[in-house]
Amino acid sequence: MATTAEGFDTHNGDHAHHDADHKPGFFARWFMSTNHKDIGTLYLIFAIVAGIVGGAISGGMRLELAEPGVQWLGTFVGWLGGDPLSFDQQGHMWNVLITAHGLIMVFFMVMPAMIGGFGNWFVPLMIGAPDMAFPRMNNISFWLTVAGFCSLLFSMFVPGGIGMGAGVGWTVYAPLSTSGSVGPATDFAIFSLHLAGAGSILGATNFITTIFNMRAPGMTLHKMPLFVWSVLVTAFLLLLALPVLAAAITMLLTDRNFGTTFFDAAGGGDPILYQHLFWFFGHPEVYIMILPGFGMISQIVATFSRKPVFGYLGMAYAMVAIGVVGFIVWAHHMYTVGLSVNTKMYFTAATMVIAVPTGIKIFSWIATMWGGSITFKSPMVWAMGFIFLFTVGGVTGVVLANGGVDDNLHDTYYVVAHFHYVLSMGAVFSMFAGWYYWFPKMSGRWHSEFLAHLHFWVFFIGVNVVFFPMHFLGVQGMARRYPDFTAAFAHWNWVASVGYVIVLASVAIFFINMIYAFVAGRRAEDNYWGEGATTLEWSLSSPPPYHQFETLPVIEDHHSADDHISSKSATA
Amino acid sequence: MIFGDIARKKLSFLALLAAALSFVIVPQSSFAQDATTSVDESVAESQSVADGEVVMETDSSAFEHFGPEMIKGQPTSYEDDAWASMNFQEQYTDNGNYALGMHDKLLMPIITVISLFVLGLLLWVVAKYRKGANPVPSKTSHNTLIEVIWTVVPVIILVVIAVPSITLIARQYAAPPAEAITIKANGYQWYWGYEYVDNGGFEVISNMLDESASLDAGEPYQLAVDNRMVVPVGVPIRLQTFGADVIHSFGIPSLWFKLDAVPGRINEKILTINEEGIYYGQCMELCGARHGYMPIAIEARSMEDYNAWVQAQGGMTLEQIADEAAAAAAAEAAEEDAESAEDAAEAGDTEGEAEAEAAEADAAEADAA
Amino acid sequence: MAGAKNHDYHILDPDIWPLIGAFSALTFTTGMVFFMHEMAGWQAILGVGVAGLIATFFGWFSKVVNEAEGGDHTPVVQLHMRYGMILFIASEVMFFVGWFWAFFDFALFPAPLREAAENVWQNMVGQEGAALLAQFPPEGVEVLDPFSLPLLNTLILLCSGTTVTWAHHALINGDRDGLKKGLWLTIALGVLFTCIQAYEYAHAPFGFGGNTYSSAFYMATGFHGFHVLVGTIFLIVCLVRSYKGHFTPRQHFGFEAAAWYWHFVDVVWLFLFIAVYIWGGWGAPVAH
Ligand code: HEA
Ligand code: HEA
Ligand code: CUA
Ligand SMILES: [Cu+2]
Repeated sequence: MATTAEGFDTHNGDHAHHDADHKPGFFARWFMSTNHKDIGTLYLIFAIVAGIVGGAISGGMRLELAEPGVQWLGTFVGWLGGDPLSFDQQGHMWNVLITAHGLIMVFFMVMPAMIGGFGNWFVPLMIGAPDMAFPRMNNISFWLTVAGFCSLLFSMFVPGGIGMGAGVGWTVYAPLSTSGSVGPATDFAIFSLHLAGAGSILGATNFITTIFNMRAPGMTLHKMPLFVWSVLVTAFLLLLALPVLAAAITMLLTDRNFGTTFFDAAGGGDPILYQHLFWFFGHPEVYIMILPGFGMISQIVATFSRKPVFGYLGMAYAMVAIGVVGFIVWAHHMYTVGLSVNTKMYFTAATMVIAVPTGIKIFSWIATMWGGSITFKSPMVWAMGFIFLFTVGGVTGVVLANGGVDDNLHDTYYVVAHFHYVLSMGAVFSMFAGWYYWFPKMSGRWHSEFLAHLHFWVFFIGVNVVFFPMHFLGVQGMARRYPDFTAAFAHWNWVASVGYVIVLASVAIFFINMIYAFVAGRRAEDNYWGEGATTLEWSLSSPPPYHQFETLPVIEDHHSADDHISSKSATA
Repeated sequence: MIFGDIARKKLSFLALLAAALSFVIVPQSSFAQDATTSVDESVAESQSVADGEVVMETDSSAFEHFGPEMIKGQPTSYEDDAWASMNFQEQYTDNGNYALGMHDKLLMPIITVISLFVLGLLLWVVAKYRKGANPVPSKTSHNTLIEVIWTVVPVIILVVIAVPSITLIARQYAAPPAEAITIKANGYQWYWGYEYVDNGGFEVISNMLDESASLDAGEPYQLAVDNRMVVPVGVPIRLQTFGADVIHSFGIPSLWFKLDAVPGRINEKILTINEEGIYYGQCMELCGARHGYMPIAIEARSMEDYNAWVQAQGGMTLEQIADEAAAAAAAEAAEEDAESAEDAAEAGDTEGEAEAEAAEADAAEADAA
Repeated sequence: MAGAKNHDYHILDPDIWPLIGAFSALTFTTGMVFFMHEMAGWQAILGVGVAGLIATFFGWFSKVVNEAEGGDHTPVVQLHMRYGMILFIASEVMFFVGWFWAFFDFALFPAPLREAAENVWQNMVGQEGAALLAQFPPEGVEVLDPFSLPLLNTLILLCSGTTVTWAHHALINGDRDGLKKGLWLTIALGVLFTCIQAYEYAHAPFGFGGNTYSSAFYMATGFHGFHVLVGTIFLIVCLVRSYKGHFTPRQHFGFEAAAWYWHFVDVVWLFLFIAVYIWGGWGAPVAH
């Protein structure tokens, strides 16, 4: 890594200062927080809660899909207060489940964990800043996310047309989401995106400002850790993509409630317009979910190979390239809507281009390990799992990119398999890698490395058993968003559902590990990964002091006058 | 025994004859091009087929649907054929075969090799560069040559993919020839309606069969329908899709065909099926509560069979339409002559009014359905 | 060593407004849902939500102003504010991109109204046939004359852009009187714009919604109008602050932010005027 913490004191007995840390009282600390680490913690807790909810919903889905026929949806309908025997309400229930699952996982699990959680915690630490640029705004970003989650939960318990809840898919396509679902549920779901989106836009502003203006003296952009780079690019994607979604879903609202005809063909409107607007946001969104993961993997691979990242600049600009190209490929989600031939050819070609910068990243990670002296601590194992599984998900993306081939694969389980390989394996693996990498730093306590490894292996097997067979189902033609399927699809669906049980076991291991850490985990030293870990957070205590870098660290051999005022206070 | 058989056949023949007669006697407007009628008819028909009674082979214009032995496009279960259950369905169009070949012979090998290559590299570094094997890390972090290679090689691979990919798209968008038959698939919540635009414009409503009915018919549940979409084999079909309420999608895996049915616009694509047979598909765009229950069944038939079926539905073959058009032209010419004589106009008017009324009643009925 | 900070960044004390603000927003959106579905109690919920939001903005920005006056806004913190404001405006630009996208989609690829087309379509083939029937603005829509009140509004906004610059230069040169005059004028022009816009809405020849032209028209100009309102309030705050003696020739980012925002709103209007009023209504019958 280009950045190094060498050159300043990391063992200056800051424990003596802990009581001078002056933490606010419980309510003020957790509900009124202006501290980036506390807000990061809140985000992580929130993401775990959302992960449990979203994971549980997917459990209900796998339960229902375990065998042909509709066995469980009626029960779920009953829980929400509908008529369990109504066939239509059962079908609607399925749509509610996938909508909630998709939205929760995307907006309330991955994004809060990666950007809100790890981004908040480690961007300031890694650039040597005492906090974020806008600490108060940081807090409303978090609470708006919570508010959005509440709105989504409300939507499940109010009528959404045929039954309770919004059954429109995470993509909320019109006119199913307008004239196709009367009732307040869909409005609650739409507002949920408004709220979470507003929080994310504010957060993006905050990150960009922080990264541009609060880097420690001497830390140029080209010395910035790659995780910070990844958050920077992500923040730009959020800033430019989310407002377009906001406009699109506002059009949904006015179409639904105030008589506009943006997407209503009877008034000359265009349902496909919604898809363009949605995917103009939606495709950058999928990179929003993976780029911070890329950043974490870069840190981890370098740390455990005890080598600087290979091709640092290439890595940074590959992310920039992914971000830029990510804005001009959106219609690859719309190959079957009736695009013109030239449009389809263009989007096919443009989409495939993204494989190049992504390949640069994959190969640079491997080249980082090459010649290294690798220790296989849990974060590294998760990172290697990430590299392989993300590649598998990425190459099926390249298959889908071919507009003519996608004619058959679109809206089948092949797509579901693709995006769970890049999300439920890519994004989630990088999250767990980051989690085990930084958990002792954040909490000051060690998790069990054994359980972390066990978690990895069980999860690795589990997700592959869940999602690999979905490729088979997809090429065989099984459609997405179906509560039921014809008998020929029974076998592989059953296998996938069995896989879910394995995943469940692994998540249980994760929680046991966390309980262990908090009950009996031994204390973590400052730089517990040793010499490979060179970024600034390792110069701090574990957990870091409530306010770090009261005197700004100075990078490399630049020394400013300020540095001499109190050279030993780097960590206090 | 034999005698009894013959008698039964004769009887059914007579019944059929009577039915045919009554069809002729009933005024045209009361049964032609009417969705509800055709549903009732075919429900009755499929029921009697299921009972194994009515067999139409004797009537020259009669039409018999394919039985389950003609099912070609459907998913294969793991139990029947494990390998097939993990691959694409067999393809029955030229473009489908091209696309399938592109996937199986080009994309699949490439992505498998790339994935295994990455896996191999990972295993290699695990073996060679673990701390035990390599205690002192190198400090290399740049190598321009290798960076250029792993940028350029993927570019080349992608170009190799792009060429057939673009070709495939161009083929799929080839302009429909003039003689293509236009058939329109209308997506409704939650069933399909097939409108035979070039054959008199009648619409066949197609609903999913329930479990026992489909199993009785020997067809897979959730794919079987009451009225199949009958199309001619081997000739280009200009297939149009339209969404009547929300977006649906007309997808048939074994024909490599998928086209969204969008409200407010008519999408259109060319489809040429190579073999006679039954091809199942499903709605492929989330469209509400019964999105999973609006399957598609295409029955591809020879042109003669197709024409027979069209007539049985109350539609007209292309020939008939051409004839009628010629006759109408002649009549019009005659009428123009008559017009100068003034009087015929009134009679024509009343006739027209009656016709319009009948059409309106039909429309209302269709709406109600 | 806490409290012994040796940097110029602004470390804040815990604050309740973010929590109140977020849940006021939730209350507001919930109230909107209740309102849109005419569910009982919407007035109360919506009222509480709006009140909470207003209170949040007031409380929050009061704090920011006090901090600024209290000297917390060191040069680097001011730089943060600049970045923050520019980025916020960038996101606003993308928001309007969404509305313009819809507008241009309708204008460049108009679809026939379904009622008009339904029977014709039976015999029409594909999009080409449909396109024959299409026109924009849709058949029967009478548009506003762009060179009457809209042109006036354009001039008003352009003028207000110069008056706000006047105020800015006055401020930089220590001319407090000029600052106040410039602000007064800008605000007056902003209010005038809003009044004319309201008048025009009230007398527009087309209703809200019902076709693509009026949908895109009202939502795009409506969101612009809302931004004018926000910008006007922002300027009023600056005016009040200038009476209170806030702002110095060297430090007055609150004012600059308001000015930036005002210019942004101005530019959006120019695009609206050219694209929606002039180009978008071209060829359609003009109402009088
Ligand atoms: C983290 C999220 C994520 C990521 C990173 C990606 C990455 C990619 N995705 Fe994916 N995608 C989704 C999430 C994601 N996707 C989701 C959620 C959907 C469905 C949305 C919905 O409909 O609900 C979707 C759907 C989707 C579709 C639409 C399918 C359909 O609905 O019909 C397409 C089509 O082009 C596509 C393509 C790609 C491509 C080309 C990449 C590329 O970026 C992948 C690049 C990576 C590699 C290629 C691997 C590494 C590279 C090398 C080892 C170099 C050598 C490789 C080659 C030369 C090929 N994706
Ligand atoms: C990040 C995104 C994400 C993740 C992780 C998952 C995880 C899972 N998904 Fe997901 N899924 C989507 C995003 C995701 N999904 C989306 C976008 C759709 C499309 C929706 C639509 O069609 O509209 C979809 C649709 C979808 C379908 C298709 C439904 C249909 O089309 O009818 C199915 C079917 O089996 C499924 C199953 C599962 C299963 C079994 C998991 C399991 O892997 C779940 C196991 C649980 C976890 C992996 C969570 C563990 C994490 C934590 C506990 C938090 C940890 C936090 C920190 C470390 C900070 N999903
Ligand atoms: Cu119709 Cu899905
Ligand atoms: Cu995409």
